[in-house]
Amino acid sequence: MIEAIAFYSMAAVALLGALLVVSLRNTVHSSLALGLSLAGVAGIFANLGADFLFAGQLLIYVGGIAIIIVFVVMLLGRTSDLHLRQVNQQWGAALLVCAMAGVSLWRLARGYLGVRAAAPAMPTTRAIGLLMLNDYAVPFELVTLVLVAALLGAIFFSRKSADDEVPS
Amino acid sequence: MLQHVYLIPLIPLAASLLILLGAKEDPRSPMPFLGIAATGWCLLQSIAIFYGAATGELSLPYGADWNWFSFGATAGGKPFLYDMPVGVLIDGSAAVMLVVVTLVSFLVQVYSLSYMRGDPRFKRYYAYLSFFTASMLGLVVSSNLLVTFSCWELVGFSSYLLIGFWFERPEPPYAAKKAFITTKLGDLGLYLALMLIFCQVGSFQIPQIREFVARGFMPAAVATAIGLGILCGAAGKSAQFPLFIWLPDAMEGPTPVSALIHAATMVAAGIYLVAKCYFIFAISPVAMETVAWIGAITALLAATMAVVSYDIKRVLAFSTVSQLGFMMCALGSWGFSAGLFHLTTHAAFKALLFLCAGSVIHAVHTNDMRQMGNLDKKMPITFFATLVGTFAIAGIPGFSGFFSKDMILERVFEHDPRLFVILAISACLTAFYMFRLVFMTFLGQERDLDRYLHAHESPWPMTVPLFVLMALAAFSGWLLDRGEIFTRLVNFQALPGIAPAHEAAHAPAYLTWYVTAFVFFAIYLAFRLYGGSNFREAESIKRRCAPVFNLLERRYYLDDIFLALVGLSDRAARLAFWIDSEVVDRFFVDGWGLLMLALARLCHLFDDNLIDRSVDATGGLSVSLGGTLRWIVRRGLVQEYLLWSAAVMSVLTLLTLPAQRYCLGASVGLGLLAILTLLLVRRPR
Amino acid sequence: MSLGHYLLLGAGLFVIGLFGALTRRNVIGILMSIELMFNAANINLAACNSYLHPAGVAGMTLAIFVITVAAAEVVVGLALVLAVYRNSATAYVEDFSLLKG
Repeated sequence: MIEAIAFYSMAAVALLGALLVVSLRNTVHSSLALGLSLAGVAGIFANLGADFLFAGQLLIYVGGIAIIIVFVVMLLGRTSDLHLRQVNQQWGAALLVCAMAGVSLWRLARGYLGVRAAAPAMPTTRAIGLLMLNDYAVPFELVTLVLVAALLGAIFFSRKSADDEVPS
Repeated sequence: MLQHVYLIPLIPLAASLLILLGAKEDPRSPMPFLGIAATGWCLLQSIAIFYGAATGELSLPYGADWNWFSFGATAGGKPFLYDMPVGVLIDGSAAVMLVVVTLVSFLVQVYSLSYMRGDPRFKRYYAYLSFFTASMLGLVVSSNLLVTFSCWELVGFSSYLLIGFWFERPEPPYAAKKAFITTKLGDLGLYLALMLIFCQVGSFQIPQIREFVARGFMPAAVATAIGLGILCGAAGKSAQFPLFIWLPDAMEGPTPVSALIHAATMVAAGIYLVAKCYFIFAISPVAMETVAWIGAITALLAATMAVVSYDIKRVLAFSTVSQLGFMMCALGSWGFSAGLFHLTTHAAFKALLFLCAGSVIHAVHTNDMRQMGNLDKKMPITFFATLVGTFAIAGIPGFSGFFSKDMILERVFEHDPRLFVILAISACLTAFYMFRLVFMTFLGQERDLDRYLHAHESPWPMTVPLFVLMALAAFSGWLLDRGEIFTRLVNFQALPGIAPAHEAAHAPAYLTWYVTAFVFFAIYLAFRLYGGSNFREAESIKRRCAPVFNLLERRYYLDDIFLALVGLSDRAARLAFWIDSEVVDRFFVDGWGLLMLALARLCHLFDDNLIDRSVDATGGLSVSLGGTLRWIVRRGLVQEYLLWSAAVMSVLTLLTLPAQRYCLGASVGLGLLAILTLLLVRRPR
Repeated sequence: MSLGHYLLLGAGLFVIGLFGALTRRNVIGILMSIELMFNAANINLAACNSYLHPAGVAGMTLAIFVITVAAAEVVVGLALVLAVYRNSATAYVEDFSLLKG
């Protein structure tokens, strides 16, 4: 019962946040709603018993990515944007496509409505750590490489070049 | 002495190569003496061997073999290793032949020193002569029938070269080709016989073949086939009945060459080969009879043709053919010794006659006897030599031809009296035409004054050989017959169990004298017809019997028959060619090609119109679809691309669901999407 | 709660994210929508792991990798947005049509 309440409330937070993200006109608000939605997803992870994932979601997404996005939105922010439409002209078509995708996904997910948890959830952090440093050692190292590359790429792209010093 | 007998053919060969390759053409070149020296050495060796054999110091036969090569073959599933030795085999007949060949070759080479003087190809002539001598000696001494066959072809080749020696004139090359091709026709049979021998025996070694035959392993039918094949080759080389047409034409060559090759040695090679393979004929009565009859027919036909010829060399050529027929007939009548005896004496007196003819031709520069006459005073030595030769060939008692011909006639009479009659007639004809030759050439009155005045006795290199040969022609028969040296030396060791076929009748002693009487009558007839200064009686007979003379002068139309045969085969070849080109090529080869072409065209059409079109259509579909899509998303908006990929993805997801209505929904959704997009499309800002 | 509920939640989140990615004009909005879709996938991974393979943690580990790669993607994407904005003074994707054929 408590589990159901927790699930539904967290699902509601995640979905509501997501809807706000795609529908709000103000990008700042939109990015804040993203943080809300990601926090809801973190709750869903907690509900699933994925403790490490819950922590990672909170630290990386809510505490990292959402904040960066807010920063960038603020860096780019223009007051005139608040009066412009934030949704483009193809929203009807997009709605149709989303409906089709929704229908198919719903059809696929419906088959799993009767699947219940086999065992109570156990702590997973130790198991994930062992797996990453044993079986998934190479992907783990490759991901570090990807992160370094992303870091360098971000620095490269966001750096002001010498030409831009001169006001155009 | 005998262990170095292999040098006898090799030394003239070396001399030939040295002369041919080692010197420039020069009329005063000393190179001919090299050939004469080589042949002289061989002559001394041969005489030594012959003398040793005649006195019994040397035991013949002598054989020595060196391994040439070996080869493996499979016969009937079993592997065999065949040896092919090359070696020498000297028996009595080989010893005699060695003397004959080297002696005549030596004398002819000496004779040619004068006869061929001033010829632009003097050196080459001697090279050819030495080469011929080497080949002929190789043929004589070889113990291997394959090597014998090779030498057999080489003497044919030398004959070709020497007949066509004066190739600037039109006739010699033609005659050379005729001789070569005609003998080649006979060699075909010999070649088949050799292959049959190898199939049967597995060896070409004469002693082994003899052993094989002696043990009775060879069936008579096979022996008949082999014998007829060998006879075919011998008929080509020795100018026997159907194939003798080349020999009269071969007289286009220089006269000493005719003496050496076409009288004494090469044409005797066929006789010698038959003698060499006599043990094969011995077990085949059919082959034996064929040999005898071919010989008899040849002897008669050639003698009749000689009667009407006016060309001095042609008369001698026909006479040679006739005498070879005598030898062949003797061999076919179990007269092994008689045949070879006649071969030996004939070599002497026919070489003598040819050299005399050469001397006459050298003096008067014509072959036509009608333009000669009354030369006996001008050329006494030549006249005397010719007379001796004619006595010998006609069988005047005491001269060599008498002994050998007598031996043949006796043997033939014992074998078959019908053959004897034919040969006796031929012998009378021989006497007739030979004395006709003598009367027309040397007696009577001169008929061509220019030629008569120009005539002179020949120089010593030409007369010395005449003297030697004269002595031989006169006395060799008596010498060899005395104490039966020849028959003791040259005889056929009968195979065990095979005796001479039958003794029909024993020749009566008076037979010889009957024949001799007829011979003298023939001589008288010749004197009556041709002894005078004009041949009125002969001409009148000729007019009265014109068809017969015509037949003889046309040589029994054999040349025409052969030409017709060649023409026929030419026609057949043309027909075959026509069939090949017009029927086989056109219908089968070209037709097949056309069929394939049509099929290929069909395939091409199919490929072009169906396969390629469908491939193109696939590509075109992609292109047009891409173009359509590009038109749809032509605004270049990234979200539009995304929309379409999402749409396609969701449609595909829908289609994976197992229900019909989702397909419907998917298509309806996609259609709606397309319509919506078209509605939404605006011009880009 | 059953697995189906989680999958439906993930589906909803994904569809919303997809809609956002298809319709937002602002590049940052599109980035955020993509993050939503990543999260939907992560929910699916974690839920399937918990329900279908409770003994293992491979799904969650994969989700961790997804989070990492998403972080990298966001960082690079935002850097690109900054660079583009600095050049063309706009953040609307309609204006990014240089590659139009």
